[in-house]
Amino acid sequence: MSLRHTRPLLGLLGLLLAATAHAEPYLAVANGLKCGQCHVNPSGGGQRTVFGEVFAQSQLPAQHLDTGTDTWTGQLNRFISLGGDLRFQGTVQQVPHTATTNSFDLEQTRVYLSANVIPERLLVYVDEQVAPGGALNREAWGMFWSADHSWYVKAGQMYLPFGLRLQDQSAFVLTTSGISMATPDKGVEFGWEKGHWDAQLAVSNGTAGGSTNGNGKQTSLQASYVEARWRLGLAANINDSDPSGSRTAYAAFAGLKTGPIAWLGQAEVIDDKSVPPDGQKQLAGLIEANYSPARGHNIKLTAEYLDPNRHVANDQQTRYSLVYEYTPIQFLQIRGGFRYNDGIPQADAQHLKLYFIELHGFF
Amino acid sequence: MPTPNTIKLSRAGAIAAPVLASLLGACAGNGQGLDANGNPVGAGGGAPPTTLTADFKSIQENVFTPICVHCHSGASAPEGLQLDEAHSYALLVGVASAEQPSLQRVNPGDPDSSYLVQKLEGSAGITGARMPFGGPYLPQSTIAVIRQWITNGAQSPSASGTSASFAVTTLSPADGARVHAGSRPIVVAFSSEPDMSLMNESTLRLERVLPEGLQEVPGGVTLSLARGNPSTVLVTPRQGLAPGQYRLSIGAGGGLVPADVDARALQQAQSSEFTVEDRP
Repeated sequence: MSLRHTRPLLGLLGLLLAATAHAEPYLAVANGLKCGQCHVNPSGGGQRTVFGEVFAQSQLPAQHLDTGTDTWTGQLNRFISLGGDLRFQGTVQQVPHTATTNSFDLEQTRVYLSANVIPERLLVYVDEQVAPGGALNREAWGMFWSADHSWYVKAGQMYLPFGLRLQDQSAFVLTTSGISMATPDKGVEFGWEKGHWDAQLAVSNGTAGGSTNGNGKQTSLQASYVEARWRLGLAANINDSDPSGSRTAYAAFAGLKTGPIAWLGQAEVIDDKSVPPDGQKQLAGLIEANYSPARGHNIKLTAEYLDPNRHVANDQQTRYSLVYEYTPIQFLQIRGGFRYNDGIPQADAQHLKLYFIELHGFF
Repeated sequence: MPTPNTIKLSRAGAIAAPVLASLLGACAGNGQGLDANGNPVGAGGGAPPTTLTADFKSIQENVFTPICVHCHSGASAPEGLQLDEAHSYALLVGVASAEQPSLQRVNPGDPDSSYLVQKLEGSAGITGARMPFGGPYLPQSTIAVIRQWITNGAQSPSASGTSASFAVTTLSPADGARVHAGSRPIVVAFSSEPDMSLMNESTLRLERVLPEGLQEVPGGVTLSLARGNPSTVLVTPRQGLAPGQYRLSIGAGGGLVPADVDARALQQAQSSEFTVEDRP
């Protein structure tokens, strides 16, 4: 990418860096940013802010295709912004004693739309999955910011704050807690942001999109401290909505930048009293290293651990992933990788080997 | 020249690297003393692995319990679909899908229009991701067995055996539930097949709860057995339910007592109160 082409974008990025900023966890750690600097959602994920759009064009790709003064910022006008995300995968999966399968899948096509009906104060936001299959609403909420942007209130259907908002939704720490970008819930979130600190408190139905009941609610609390090269956070979730028992989850998560490597880590314990007959205690952990040898290239090595029932010995599972992410030009990424699951010998499904290549378009 | 900060971070990296290395070295369990579902052998449910066959018990043991329950259990089960042994049959067979209410999750006799099969096969028309989420997807041979069970009528686990007594196993909507008008079927599931000649609006009641007392729903209800699920009664109001509070009760009216086809009387009366809300 020539300096002549990047200069306007870098200039805009420089201006934006002076403002507040949010991102994908490893990018946030690598750049010392909070999630809400690159995403309109202060707790991360979904539509990108103007900063996020410019960052994605100037800092992620190996080469920036020159578009002159026409720079996509997502803003259709002063009030309305548009974004999108498409993931198309080819996968090969191998499970012992089972024929190898391979397939092409449109994992998701999502459209983000936000209306800044009162600029900087009141935002209405929709995240709609439009393919594959019928439309599926993921998030739909309104958010009111205080005048100094030190706190906000969000209400509607939303992802809950609990630990790292990872891209891989099948990570043990997400499937075990049951809180991910596949399980939004309806409720209210209060957020607080001050200097290096940010915190969220959410109260929701606790039914992961299912019908509500009058038995109780789900409360999520998260606080994190963000420095330029490291961050640390704690999260708790108590779901009291099932009449057969409550479910509590606690997580500690962290990020660290050492030279060209951005590290992510999360550990969590879950105590689910609603699982018959006597409840279940689980432990899950993840540590991930993201090595960026050059702009546009990232190598992601992830190790995961799951103890699905802490009262039972010899049932632990592990999962290792090696993923290469190449962003040749703005808005386009090619990801390829391998995931290896290991578990008890008698459970074939716990021994999945997954190879994939993915086309990821985003704007 | 390294700054003190750089040195500190290099040390931090020196700590983080061994942590990753130790996780990389972490081993999966050896499975000693466990069955194929990871449960202790001999500690309840510790039956030896069985071959998958086209009956619900086998599908529960070989598919739902070891694979699906990891996410589809407890209060946070996606779409409210709990697939543990206690809930799965009642929430699958003859019950409308939450993602696509025009389709039943399991439509007895018709696997092609069963949303469960479509989700497992990743059919083009599904909403959301193919299941199991993130893979491994079930081999077609396993899906074929599930298809066969549905083709055979999606028989319940107790279809071939007899339960000890006649009791209510599921009332849906559950007590305290809040549902949108027309969004959920009203279901009463029993431990065995009820005698429908004893099932009428005096033994199985759906009433509106008003400050002045209980009032029969306008137009009354029709009662029918779920197709292919003879232990489940579907309660269909002849007119749509208006927003408000409702009470669903079985065997609570005095007089006629519900019984099953083996003439065993209902063990205990049950009821639930739920709220119908306008669609947003």
